[in-house]
Amino acid sequence: MRRSGYFSLLRGCLLLGLAGAARAQFASTGTTTLSVTVAADAGLQVNTATTTMTASGTAFSGSYTGTTSLTYKIRTTSSTGSGTITLKVTSDFSPAGGPSVLSPPTAGDTLTYTCTLTSPGTGCSGSQTASTTSSTSVGTFGAGAKSASGGNTGSVAWTLTNDPSYTTGTYSATVTFTISAT
Amino acid sequence: MASKATRRPVSVWLPRLLASAVAIGSGIAGTGTAVQTLDATLQPIAKVSVPSSLSLTTIAGEFAAFTGSLTVSYRARTTASGGGTITIEVSSDFSPSGGPSAAAAGLTYTCSGASLGTACTGTQTASTTAQTPVVTLPTSACTGGGGACSSSDPATVSVNFSLANSPTYSTGSYSAQVILRISAT
Repeated sequence: MRRSGYFSLLRGCLLLGLAGAARAQFASTGTTTLSVTVAADAGLQVNTATTTMTASGTAFSGSYTGTTSLTYKIRTTSSTGSGTITLKVTSDFSPAGGPSVLSPPTAGDTLTYTCTLTSPGTGCSGSQTASTTSSTSVGTFGAGAKSASGGNTGSVAWTLTNDPSYTTGTYSATVTFTISAT
Repeated sequence: MASKATRRPVSVWLPRLLASAVAIGSGIAGTGTAVQTLDATLQPIAKVSVPSSLSLTTIAGEFAAFTGSLTVSYRARTTASGGGTITIEVSSDFSPSGGPSAAAAGLTYTCSGASLGTACTGTQTASTTAQTPVVTLPTSACTGGGGACSSSDPATVSVNFSLANSPTYSTGSYSAQVILRISAT
């Protein structure tokens, strides 16, 4: 019984303490500190939902070409961060009988591209060959890179081999762009 | 000269003691009426309480605004001809530099769920130089108990902050101070 009394007393003291701690402090003014952690971040928007590729020249003298534009936003960590934009052909050309990234009808048929990125990005160098199995570079960013509030622009200029072996028709593939920042 | 205390017989002091007790008992048992007028003049008064800190967060990958909700608790009593306000002001802008700024109109808020008075309407822009509204208190306002008063004590209102998330901000941690003021007349 004595132990029970002690526990009751202890419990009462704890409750009083908690009540005191929880009691809000009321005054004619109140001050709050707003805190925010700004981390590395990135996002992009493909402005050309469907890029139509057309052949220039005649008699297969020119490849199919087209341009995809995009807008990116990026913020990389000062002094240690970096960023990338990559692309991958996530769905090969279809239907069958036409061009193919993974299994072209003729060896050497390719889907290639060149890149342009406005600062702070650096576009990929030279001509890149798109792949269905791996991501390939569109551009890179260094430490402390910060795009404009509304974003910066970039573009990818595509070139697809115009092979006489392709069956006439309309073919489409899906390309996924990915941006990342640290 | 030494004196010897005189011991009085019980027959003398006991009746006197009993008589005194009866007299006192009569006084206690007696009834009477006393009228006391109590005058209390209740002045308008208002107090506010807020958490000491609030973290604003965002969703990665979208440059969505940093958001957070601040619960403001308050008690107020206003006169029949008075009223009151709760206002907010950025007393110290975000620091260090290189990040968000309230002075650049980067901090906005909405108000919701005022249990006493009327919450601000629409989206307000917090200012570093002026007080902007949070709650307007009506005349004859009082806190708690229901009826003519608010049902809750303390009354509360939510201030829902939104802070611009620009890619131009340098990475890092930033903080600002906001002050809420309450007044009643």
